[in-house]
Amino acid sequence: MSVVSDLAAELADDARNAAAAPVESVKDVKYTLEGVRDGRVSPATVLKTAGITLGAAVVVALLLFPLYWVAVGAFSGTGASLYSSSGIRLWPADPTIEPFLWVVGDLIVPSYRISLALGGYEVFLQTPELTFLDVSQYGVTETSEFKRFFANSLTVAVPTVILAMCLIVPGAYALSRRQFIGRSKVLYGYVLFTQIGGGLGVALLIALYALFVQFGFNDDKLALSAYYAATAVPFNTWLLKTYMDGIPVSYEEAAMIDGAPSWKIVTEIILPLSKAGLATVFIFTFLTGWTEFVVAQTLLSTDNYTLPVGLYSLVGRYSIPWARFSAFALTFAAPIVLIYLFAQRYIEGGLSFGGMEG
Amino acid sequence: MSVVDSAVERVADSPVVSRGDLPLLLVLPGLFVFLAFMLFPVLYLVYLSFTNAEPATLFQGREQWVGLANYVRVLSDGQFWNSMGVTWLFVATSVALKVLVGLGVGLVVTGKRVRGKRFMRALIIVPLGLPGIFTITIWRGIFSSAEFGLANQFLRMAGLGSVAWLSERWMAFLAYNVTEAWLAYPFMVIITVSALQDVSEELHEAAMIDGAGFFARFLHVTLPSIKRPVLFASILTAAASFQQFLIPYVFNQGGPSRTNELLIVYGYREAFRFQKYGEGAAIMLVAVAVIGVFMMLNVKKGQLADGVDDA
Repeated sequence: MSVVSDLAAELADDARNAAAAPVESVKDVKYTLEGVRDGRVSPATVLKTAGITLGAAVVVALLLFPLYWVAVGAFSGTGASLYSSSGIRLWPADPTIEPFLWVVGDLIVPSYRISLALGGYEVFLQTPELTFLDVSQYGVTETSEFKRFFANSLTVAVPTVILAMCLIVPGAYALSRRQFIGRSKVLYGYVLFTQIGGGLGVALLIALYALFVQFGFNDDKLALSAYYAATAVPFNTWLLKTYMDGIPVSYEEAAMIDGAPSWKIVTEIILPLSKAGLATVFIFTFLTGWTEFVVAQTLLSTDNYTLPVGLYSLVGRYSIPWARFSAFALTFAAPIVLIYLFAQRYIEGGLSFGGMEG
Repeated sequence: MSVVDSAVERVADSPVVSRGDLPLLLVLPGLFVFLAFMLFPVLYLVYLSFTNAEPATLFQGREQWVGLANYVRVLSDGQFWNSMGVTWLFVATSVALKVLVGLGVGLVVTGKRVRGKRFMRALIIVPLGLPGIFTITIWRGIFSSAEFGLANQFLRMAGLGSVAWLSERWMAFLAYNVTEAWLAYPFMVIITVSALQDVSEELHEAAMIDGAGFFARFLHVTLPSIKRPVLFASILTAAASFQQFLIPYVFNQGGPSRTNELLIVYGYREAFRFQKYGEGAAIMLVAVAVIGVFMMLNVKKGQLADGVDDA
């Protein structure tokens, strides 16, 4: 539970900082204005600073404009403004969430009938139908296959995380805390793969596909998870190992003197203290399965498409209006960005290894 | 239990592995799974490249050993050399673009007079968290030939006619470059910013006293101090450009009419579109060999695996 309350505390901290930022900058501006009035600061300097800041803001805005454009697209109704010849719109002509309703579709839990046999009697339980969202009320009749892709993605990503954590955590601990034969060779291999092996996935795809078909694994989501977990091992083991290296050995020595067995040292000291590292690895491995496209597209059949493949399958169809496509893409990516933004502090802490600092 | 115990004892007694090496058992599962899904396919790919495997023959076990025939055919194929040329051209242009954008944006968000730098930096690296397939499909929409494509709308605002981006060879190539630069700029900016922050302030002040203007200072103070990290980032990002698959594949399958097939796309299409697994495997292996040599040279020169030594 403490993990949850810690996270909540940090989230609250973030929110407070974000809310305080405008107040701080208003104070700043006020201070500067007073300075100008008193003659402590010359107006030319202020103007120059303001101009350059504005220029920088324009650069940032231009870089992020594609994302904004997608958001505008998603809130424009089918057809309508985007097809008009009046150029680029900065605001949807008449904002609507219809595209998002198309993406999400009905959220209705149908009623189930559960029968129990109790000593000769049969008891029927009828669960009520739960309606969270009925899009037909909003005039949306056909919906996307988002929910099916979502379920497929979950059944790929969850086993990936479980398997990957089982493989990564013990390995990282051993590499960080123990000496054994071939240790540096394994480390070297992992780092080398991390640095240069990124694109190997597509190159190997032919062999992978042929092997999967021959073993009867193609279109098998569990086999795909195993593959994702395998590709996640080198980088994440290295990451977690680096994180564990930062935990002082003196804690373990103290516990050892008190007579704690080594498994207890692991569960009581190492694992709790590498919470942030574990969270980073958890997110990374989850995202491996959640965002991978090429292998999933080659191995899975239409019924088993995961979200990225589903997204791509929309691009090819010219009949899909841009608004709906944008809404689909945003619904897919927004949670990932949120997770990523929150995890950034952990990721930056965990990524402080050798080469990245140049 | 006793069987396990005696096995453990026997392992412990063997001269190669001593009892102190038991932690190896914690690493082995990960290593084994990794090798099963990575090393084994590599070996199988090598085997395939020496056969005439096609879906029709391979899945009935009727593929035949053809020796080096695939390699000979690939290396004497004009299509392959076109692909190789386009790939290296793409590496050159996209890396140049990425370094320029990274440097430019890095300078902007570290500028002395810019206020709210931290906020801008946080905002600017948001795309790093976006899934690749999301970004690339979005950019495909931007370069859409239809009227609503953002690129065409910009052109129209500038008073130019619209362009069929993805069905003209060099326009498609340009679109690849822009997208690749946008994909990689957060990484380049992070590296550049951290390098720029390490540039000595005293050197700048000394140069200013000597009367050096902004450009002179950039050329003689900033650039020499950030050269190494930026070079390091360029090498890594060059490897990424060389292996770029998603952009051409999502945009127009390396088209129009196979002119822009980067090497990996070429191999993929030979195998899955034209059903020539053997040739596809040979192309992939040539590509891996080329990138391997390229990276080896850079690892030797630039100490990419530095981290291992202090592990």
